[in-house]
Amino acid sequence: MRWTEKYRPKYFKDVIGNGNAKKEIEGWLNNWKNNQVEKPLLLIGPAGTGKTTMAHIIANEFGDSFELNASDERTYQSLLNTAGISSDTYSLFEKGHKLIILDEVDGIDGKKDKGGTRAIGKIIKEAKHPMIMMANDFYSKRLTSIKPKCIVVKLTKVHTNSINALLKKIAINEGIEADSDSIKALAKNSNGDMRFAINTLQATSQSSKTFTMDDLNETSQKDNRSTIFDGIRTVLKSKNLKRVKESLYLDGDPTVVLEYISENIPNEYKKKNEIKKAYKMVSEADYYFSLARTTQNYTYWRYASDFMGIGVALAKDEKYKKFTKLTGPKAFTYIGHTKGKRTLRDNIAEKISEKLHVSKSEAISSFPYFQIMFENDELAWEISDFLSLDDDEIKRFRKKKIPKKGMTKMEKIKAENNFKEPDQSNNLVNSLDNNLKINKIKTSNKTKTTNKKESKSVKEEDKNKKTKGQTSLFNF
Amino acid sequence: MNGPWVEKYRPQKLDDIVGQQHVTERLKHYVGSKDGMPNLMFTGSAGVGKTTTALALVKLAIGEYWRQNFLELNASDERGIGIVRDRIKGFSRLKPVGAPFKIVFLDEVDSMTKDAQSALRREMEMYTKTVVFILSCNYSSKIIDPIQSRCAIFRFTPIKGSNIIKRLKFIADSEGVEYEDSAIESIVYFAEGDMRKAINILQSTASIGDKIKNSSIYEVISKAKPQDVSKMIIKALSGDFMGSREILRQIMIMQGTSGEDLINQIYQDIMKRAMDEKMAPEIYIDLIEAIANTDFRIREGANPRIQLESLLAKFL
Repeated sequence: MRWTEKYRPKYFKDVIGNGNAKKEIEGWLNNWKNNQVEKPLLLIGPAGTGKTTMAHIIANEFGDSFELNASDERTYQSLLNTAGISSDTYSLFEKGHKLIILDEVDGIDGKKDKGGTRAIGKIIKEAKHPMIMMANDFYSKRLTSIKPKCIVVKLTKVHTNSINALLKKIAINEGIEADSDSIKALAKNSNGDMRFAINTLQATSQSSKTFTMDDLNETSQKDNRSTIFDGIRTVLKSKNLKRVKESLYLDGDPTVVLEYISENIPNEYKKKNEIKKAYKMVSEADYYFSLARTTQNYTYWRYASDFMGIGVALAKDEKYKKFTKLTGPKAFTYIGHTKGKRTLRDNIAEKISEKLHVSKSEAISSFPYFQIMFENDELAWEISDFLSLDDDEIKRFRKKKIPKKGMTKMEKIKAENNFKEPDQSNNLVNSLDNNLKINKIKTSNKTKTTNKKESKSVKEEDKNKKTKGQTSLFNF
Repeated sequence: MNGPWVEKYRPQKLDDIVGQQHVTERLKHYVGSKDGMPNLMFTGSAGVGKTTTALALVKLAIGEYWRQNFLELNASDERGIGIVRDRIKGFSRLKPVGAPFKIVFLDEVDSMTKDAQSALRREMEMYTKTVVFILSCNYSSKIIDPIQSRCAIFRFTPIKGSNIIKRLKFIADSEGVEYEDSAIESIVYFAEGDMRKAINILQSTASIGDKIKNSSIYEVISKAKPQDVSKMIIKALSGDFMGSREILRQIMIMQGTSGEDLINQIYQDIMKRAMDEKMAPEIYIDLIEAIANTDFRIREGANPRIQLESLLAKFL
């Protein structure tokens, strides 16, 4: 049996850490027990902080529960069919409430799980049952519409000491010989992730019944960021060739290490000439990495490593005696955070590119003009109709919605035009002669109903025909 | 059809195309000629009518069924030669229906790598009898020789100011929008021979008022022009490296501007600064050396963002 399951707390009192969150959840649970309907609970926290544990404890209290997680397909319909049905039907056997658990709601895939967030919104609105959702990323875009409808409970990383204590307990319980230093190191390395800590302990010691520092070093570390940060700190703090070189013996892609180093240069170095020198070295390192890649000659790597290591280290005039908070590459997180925005941008660009015969990059560079044109309600409607933009895409160009009044007016005009204009989709037979025929039939239909407008509409038809002869060439 | 005027007023016939008579007259001879049409290459800067000419020529040469016998691709959008090849192959394999031949229009060929161009050359050879290729690019120097030698090359010149004025006035009149003559002249000045840009400015200005006024042109230009590059450079020159680096990332990631484009914009900005005597020549030439070096490295395949960050550090 997996120890993570074996030692999973069964009651709130056994859960380690997150005291405040625990209280909040208990309150929520008690209200339900008193038949007081509560908003759904949204548990947000990094992996291994106890979200699933909390959910299972709550599920036990309710007796009946229903669970979906990221591995299930979560398109709009399937969500409604499964979670949706269970949310408004009562259990046959028990009179109590039925708990709905949706795990990893921020992992809903934009494409594969089309409409997933919308379905969740609908279920929240209609559900008569208690509901718990779990997510990792508090800032995930997919949560923006869900968060306000829920009681949000943030779970924080479990403190190293708490992990340490639990690991010790498990070791004793399982009869494992372990020295306290290596347990402490494991607790620290797991970076607040309880599940990882327990899994590692089990993987390394279950058969041997011992746990030492060597065991710890052999297993891959949960997050080599901590070691990357150690390396960078040495590069920025030291001027000693040997120490710097050793600190950069890191697993993983050296170009990523370069990203970490360049990110933190201005955090540590404060003089202009230091930043200049250091970044010159970064540029050299990057250049030699790229040479290695393009020529497939990886001896270039050794030069690159020295440039980004001792090169950057020697760029400082003197060692700084201060504590510097190091950060991960912001460009990476920025790329992650802006994914939705960039997808939106690319979708619009694609539409413009198709209709206006330009490349996508050209289309993106013309966005500012569209932004100006979209301030005009009528033109905004025309252009979004011409490009078939959806509501989100329109929002990219103007904050306000296009007023309904103008829209219905424009839609009417368009509908009339459509009625007059022959269908262009079957362009194989769409020669001008055919146009004339269709137009005549339509005109005769019209004359039956509105005699008065006859002469006027015929004139209009003629006009249309003329412009049509030109405009039909536009559309492809 | 309404919507963007750049599309609404795109000339449909070769004769209507403004300012490229030397090209359009020669092209007309190919239509209906016994020898058929050779592969063509259109070169010239943005907004001078390459795509418009290609579309007009296609309609004229293929006639009624041009939609079925025409494929338009933009090389800069298609990731990798694989897609271009698959689509070109899929299109070219079938015989033309109701037309003497098919036409493939491949835009921005100069954004293709050399390898991709070599692959394209094979495709051009395979279907010589049934498919005519029209390639378009900004600089023919970026096209490999074997492709150039297989094409008749047509150079599009920047459109003359007087021709742009005529066209803009025609559009404004057709739309029933009033304008100040000075406003039209300002547009021509800012458009730098790019008709698409000129029409975009015209429509943007028309959309914010009843009349196209000279004063609103400046409003539109300042809104539409990416100010960020300037801001980024000023921040770096004044010593705020972090701030400058932040703007760089926004430009590259959010606006999706490529490293090469950014290098161009930085170069233009620095040059203007020096020409306006806001920068000493000694500093200027130092920065140019740094820009040249960065440009070279990016083209060689280095990471554009890291190289540009380093360039900004040199501005400190």
